[in-house]
Amino acid sequence: MTMPNSPKDLYRPRRAEIREVIVENSQIKTFVLAFVDRAHNGSFTYQPGQFMMVSVPHCGEAPISISSTPADSGTIHLSVRRAGILTAALHDMKQGDMVGLRGPYGRPFPMTALAGSDLLFVAGGIGLAPLRSVINTCLAAGHDRRITILYGSRTPSDIAFQGDLASWGQTAGVNCLLTVDRSEPGWEGEVGLVTGLFAQCALEPDESKALVCGPPMMIRAVLAQLADRGFADGNIITTMERHMKCGVGICRHCHMDDKLVCKDGPVFTLEELKRLKVMELRG
Amino acid sequence: MKDKYILKKDHLLPLLRKLKKKHRLIAPLQNLHGDTLFTEIDQLDNVRLDLANQPQNSLKRFFFPQQEVLFTYRNPTSDSYRFETAAEERPPSLYFGVRPCDLSAVLYMDVVFSKNARDPHYLHRRQNTILVGLNCNAPFANCFCNATRNGPFIDFGFDLQLTDLGDRFLVEFDRSQGQEIIREWQQFFAAADETDVKAQYQAFLEARGRFSQQVHLDLAARRLADDQVPESVWQDLSMRCQDCGGCAYICPTCTCFTIRDRQTGDHEGERIRSWDACTFSGFTRMAGDHNPVDRQMRGIEKRFRHKLQFDMEKDNRPSCVGCGRCVNICFGGTDIVLFIKMTCGENP
Repeated sequence: MTMPNSPKDLYRPRRAEIREVIVENSQIKTFVLAFVDRAHNGSFTYQPGQFMMVSVPHCGEAPISISSTPADSGTIHLSVRRAGILTAALHDMKQGDMVGLRGPYGRPFPMTALAGSDLLFVAGGIGLAPLRSVINTCLAAGHDRRITILYGSRTPSDIAFQGDLASWGQTAGVNCLLTVDRSEPGWEGEVGLVTGLFAQCALEPDESKALVCGPPMMIRAVLAQLADRGFADGNIITTMERHMKCGVGICRHCHMDDKLVCKDGPVFTLEELKRLKVMELRG
Repeated sequence: MKDKYILKKDHLLPLLRKLKKKHRLIAPLQNLHGDTLFTEIDQLDNVRLDLANQPQNSLKRFFFPQQEVLFTYRNPTSDSYRFETAAEERPPSLYFGVRPCDLSAVLYMDVVFSKNARDPHYLHRRQNTILVGLNCNAPFANCFCNATRNGPFIDFGFDLQLTDLGDRFLVEFDRSQGQEIIREWQQFFAAADETDVKAQYQAFLEARGRFSQQVHLDLAARRLADDQVPESVWQDLSMRCQDCGGCAYICPTCTCFTIRDRQTGDHEGERIRSWDACTFSGFTRMAGDHNPVDRQMRGIEKRFRHKLQFDMEKDNRPSCVGCGRCVNICFGGTDIVLFIKMTCGENP
């Protein structure tokens, strides 16, 4: 694993070129990026769950989780929902344009612990981005336990990462189920909350780890469902999203009680989160 | 006495003159308006060194400026976005007359800016720095460093430490740079004797008895940790806090910052870091106006919990150094001393 930028360059990004822009839906685009410095691009690596600080000219920086897998070296995928000034400017950028990147930062998913377990992934909307990194990493590593993927979108045209979903749907040992909040003509799949998909899954909570990522409302509903199913808090893993400025544990914008999401997270177990006053759990 | 020296007050200015030849000299000066501020000294002869009053500012901005450029960027075409760091010359600096609270605050900042990641901008300014402290014989009206346990006298962390004994200073060193100064300028220093050391201890005892307020910080910290602070306290504080950020800016240990771009031309700009305050409603606000913290109600609670609970749990000491500056600056009546008194059930 490469170190983050050297201390001298702590806040100075490296230049990265947009190699490709994948339109996931009307709100989400995936930017395929490569560092201009070829040596750095060749040695750069990261772990699923980590994030990059992305610089866009005149817009400052924002933390974006990495949605690609380190096995695909040479490029980094950042899937970005249009949400504010920086992400709107990023959405207007095209192939060949330049952004700044620093990272990777943050505590990744516990990949070693995941390797020996059945894995349940529950995601809503852009929440699939960091989980996509885990899923593809596990598949590339030949994960030999059951994988279940439950993905909720607002409407059928909001379904992102369609290429991945199609590929996972055809992979042996992977059960990939989709649902939408509101149907559209031509949609023959499930309609309803992602928690509605649990009925179709055979789950062995003691043998499983659940990875949950999505909007706070969804997280709360899914956590309740997992508790009903008998998942222990230590086997439920999620990622937290917070305003960040430095990304390296100094500026304190992402504080959650005595924890900093950029350093102690963004990946947390439910067991860890329950010791904190966390808005996502309390509503 | 071993490692204790005497500097006659008559020798202070001549010593500072010598030290100024090699160092940028920063000390509490009284300006034309009667304000005492840590100021970089241009000409020692033309200034009023003020060791009697508490400097209104701390050393924070000398190491961590209110606003600084992290780097500049240029973007003449969309595929030429570039970042350039400007190198800042930093001559060796000597800070003179630093009170135990402000010295402790620098030691705290050293941890903040190096523990999770080494902040090059802070550390660059902090390197080649000599800290010459001054123990507090007479704590000021709002001081409570006895409660935060870093004053009125301090015995570590400085290069040189002075105690005012009337016509002379007792001088101690804790770091080699301090020892080096005594060795290099030995003509100004004499060995201290037993009387001097006794006088210092007497000064310490008297200083300890001179605090004008008793602040039960440990009790308040325990109640915070045990979640025993009545909700009405938070409500009162939130209602009265005017969200000015003054407490955080004046605080020698408040180090939260924000980073943003400032466009300086059609195709160029600067990435700026500036002080921020965790009590501001925008502190945790994310894109799309989603805010995981109710800042209106909880901002001030987050601030006090950080200083008196979370840092206490980590380091067994609060990250408030008891300087009392926030008491002076708060016009809303929600300063940390008031909070501690409310939490302890005292009538403020």
